[in-house]
Order: sequence, then C-alpha cells, then structure tokens
Amino acid sequence: MLGRILAIAHNTFREAVRDRVLYNLVLFVLLLTGAAIFIGELSGGQERKIIVDLGLSAMLLFGVFIAIFVGVGLVYKEIERRTVYSIFSKPVGRGEFIVGKYLGLCLTLLVNVIVMGAGVSLALVYVSRGWDPMIPGIWPAVLLIYVELMILTGVTLLFSSFSSPALSALLTFFVFIIGHFSADLKSLASSMGSAGARWLFTGLYYLVPNLSNYSFITPAAHGRTPEPAFVMAAIVYALIYITVILAAATLVFSKRNFK
Amino acid sequence: MTKDESLSGYNDRAKTIGLLAIVAFGLITAALLAGWIDTRRPAADPNVVDESLYLKGQTARRLSLSFSGLAADWYWMRSLQYVGGKIVNMPENVVFDNLEQLNLKLLPSLLDTATTLDPEFFQPYEYAAAVLPAVDVNEAIRIVQKGSAANPSNWRLYQHLGYLYWQKQDYKSAAEAYGNGAQIPGAPQWMQAMKARMLADGGSRSTAREIYLRMYEQSTDNNIRTMARHHVFQIDAADQLEVLQKVLAEFQTRNGRCTSGWKELQSELRTLQMPIDSTGAPVDPSGAPYVLATNCQVQLSPTSEVPAK
Repeated sequence: MLGRILAIAHNTFREAVRDRVLYNLVLFVLLLTGAAIFIGELSGGQERKIIVDLGLSAMLLFGVFIAIFVGVGLVYKEIERRTVYSIFSKPVGRGEFIVGKYLGLCLTLLVNVIVMGAGVSLALVYVSRGWDPMIPGIWPAVLLIYVELMILTGVTLLFSSFSSPALSALLTFFVFIIGHFSADLKSLASSMGSAGARWLFTGLYYLVPNLSNYSFITPAAHGRTPEPAFVMAAIVYALIYITVILAAATLVFSKRNFK
Repeated sequence: MTKDESLSGYNDRAKTIGLLAIVAFGLITAALLAGWIDTRRPAADPNVVDESLYLKGQTARRLSLSFSGLAADWYWMRSLQYVGGKIVNMPENVVFDNLEQLNLKLLPSLLDTATTLDPEFFQPYEYAAAVLPAVDVNEAIRIVQKGSAANPSNWRLYQHLGYLYWQKQDYKSAAEAYGNGAQIPGAPQWMQAMKARMLADGGSRSTAREIYLRMYEQSTDNNIRTMARHHVFQIDAADQLEVLQKVLAEFQTRNGRCTSGWKELQSELRTLQMPIDSTGAPVDPSGAPYVLATNCQVQLSPTSEVPAK
C-alpha cells in the first residue's frame, strides 16, 4: 500500500515540476534580491525586519496559491483526462490515490518552502554583511508556515473531491481567511445572545482549522521563536486535522462512480 | 532545404521580429503616454494628501491576517516617506525635532497603525517620541504608552516616555516614567538617577543635557542621534556663550571699551580652559569659532552646526 501511495506522490511531484510550479521561486528570489538591495534606503535601518516579514509573508502567500491552484487540479485533471479510469483499473484504492496526491503536493510545497527559507537566510546574510543571529530564529516560523500549507492542501483536496476547481479554490480561500479569524469566531460566540447563534459560532470555531496558530511571521521578524511545546502541539493539531480531512475526502471520493 | 521550407523559415523570422517590434513599440508608447499624462495631471490637493487613513489600526490588523508584520513595515515606510516628502518640498532647512511647520497631520495615524499592526516594532515608537511632540505631544505620549503596555520589558520606551513628559514640563510624570523604567531588569543605573533629577531639577540645563546625551547613546536611528547631538551642542554652546559674555563684560568694565579681538582675551580663555582655534578664537562644540559682534556681544558663527534656536 505504501509503495502505491509513494508512487502516486512521486508522480504528482514530477507533474508539478513539469508544470513549472517551482518557477515561482524565480519570482521569489527576484523579490528578495530587490528588497535586500533597495529596502535599506526606505526602511530607516529596519531592513532585517522587513526582509524577514517580506520573505516569510511571500513564502506563505506563494504557498497558499500553489496549495489552492495546483491542489484543485489534482483530482479534477485526472478525471478530465480520464486517466483516473486506468489508475483505478489497477489495484489502487481511492484512499491511496487521495493520500498519494496529497503527499505529492506536500513534497512540492516542502521543496518550495525550504528553498525560500534558504533565500531569506541568504538575504539576511547579505544585509548583515555576515552571519545574522536571526537566521536560526526564522526556521520555526518556516516550519509553522509549512504546516499551515499542509492543512490548506488537505482542505483543497477535500473540496476538489466533490466540486469544480473554481468552487474548490473559492471555498479553500474562504477557509484560509476564516481560519485566521478563529479567535474572533470564539469571542463572537461568547458575545451572542441566542443559544443557537452561540452554538453556530462555537461549532464553526472548532470546525474550521485555527490557522492563527501558525502565524509566527511577525514575532520571527523580532527574533522571537515559539516555545517547542507550542510548535509540537500545533503540529499534532495539524496532523489530526489533516487525517480527518483526508478521511473525509476519501469518503466523498469513494462515493464517486468511475466505472 | 527546399524553397518552401526556406520561405516558411523566413516568414517565421519576420513574424517574430514583427511581434517583438510591436511589444517594444507598445511599451515605449505606453511609457511616453504615461509621462505625458503625469505632466497634465492636476496637482494633488494638500487636503486630500493629508486625508485621514481609511483603515484604523485595529481594522488593518484584522484584515492583514498573517501579514500584520509586513503591513506594519508598509505603514512605517509610509511614515518615513510622508515626513521625507514634506521636508523635501520645504524651501528652507527644517530641524528634525521641530517639524511643526510641515503640517504632519497624518503622521500620528500612520505611526499608530504601524504600532497596532506590530506592537513589538520599536522604531515607530522612538520616531513618535522624537518627531510627534511638534505635531501633538499628547498623541506621542499615547503611542509610547501603548508601546510600554505592549512591551513591558523594554525600558527604553520608558526613557522616551520620560522625555515626552519632560518636554511638557510635567517633571513629576517624567520622574515616574524614568522610575518605572528603572525597575525593569536590564535597565541602566542612570534611569533611577534621572528619576531623582527630574524631581529635584527637572527644568535645568544640566538635566536637558543628560536627557539628550542618553538619547544619543541609546538610539540606533541616525536622525534621532543627530537631533540629540545638536541639542547637546546647543546646551553646551549656551553655557559657553554665558561664560564668554561674562568675560567680555569684565573686559569692558576694566578697559572702558569692547575688545577688538580674541587675542586680547587669551589669558582669560586659557584660565577657562576653553578650546581655541589657530586664530585664538574660542570654538563652539561643533568646532566653529565664536564670532564677536557689535556692542561687546558674542554669537555663534553662521557656519556653526549648533542650531541657533
């Protein structure tokens, strides 16, 4: 089973590379190089903070776009091209297909995030004219960004298992937005008068992934790192969430008829 | 290669060159047209330029999702560009800590938004303490107080708060701010001394010198360091001018006339241990010689770096 999942993941990664998804790295490098060279004149001596803010924010933004726009096509393209029929004519389960696709895109995102993290580190070396103590501090934030992207990839896959690419992209984008407003949902729930509304907003708070747990870009720009226990808890939360999403996606996908 | 293939290759090349020419011509035309439109655009209404921000800090923070740090950087750079743009457009030189004439209506909102988006961002607080008093000292105090509430372990925000209260001549509050800052682990000893000094001697010149010296030592912002340095120069020059004026008055009493030059006062200047230049004239803290004016008066040289006011 693991072999089949890894084969699908490997193919998905190769397809992403063939589709020139990693070309976004060129844009990222250009952005950071420009910032590292020119931001000093505009920032009043805050170039290191701005490099980290800009680099990590771009990493998240590019990652979200990849997770959404590549993710929505993962299942849909296979159906459109009718390659899904030949895949399922072999001994490949629906769950294996979904998990394989998911891992393939996660691998693409991992390469992306690592290269971008190295880019931010190099930009810091450039503006500091040598080793910068902020460099090790950005990597926990990079890890949390990657975990957030893993959740979003799962969400995209879930939506794309039953709806069109455009709708999946829209819904995933909503989840990304609402996921960052989780704290507001909770406070909204507690301030509601009616019990029904309280239940609704409390339910939404627990249903939608709390993506604010993964927002460590701003503290990282001040050289602050999250507590290891916090990072571990955030990763475990993400793994549980991803398991639930992939199980749900498999369930929905299993109901679709490809015979 | 057949004749047809050669013709087709020629057509392809011609097509490529034609398309490239369209792209280049289009871009150049668009750039020229944009420049032409810019020259004919009506000048921006200064009231519109200083219009209040569309988004308040808290709203901007919510809308910025994970990107609040980047948004804070944007507002910070906008603050710098806003002040810089106004300075560039002023016909005469302006002093960094006296920008009242620039009408910086938008600056408090820009700095407030930057610090709401990223409450740990120290530079906007420091900038608010140095620049905002000329616009709205109470707003400067509010922003720095917000900073000290968000960063309770940062004693330098209390240093700035003390400075702002001192500027308002509220020495009791200034002493309290220095005292609170002194309690923070890592705060230097002089914060406690400043508290005592504010209570005992808040309005004195020596207190002012101490405040600006500490600001010069601590700040990493070049504008603020230059401003503090100029203030120290100004205070030292005021002390020196008083002493020199006294020397000139004594000379006039002794001789019944004003001195004809610094050469006549060499022994007094030596006694005072004042630095003098090669012509024997005493020099101010920036190294420029003091100038003898009419009526036995001494004044700063026009070339001096020491601000006149």
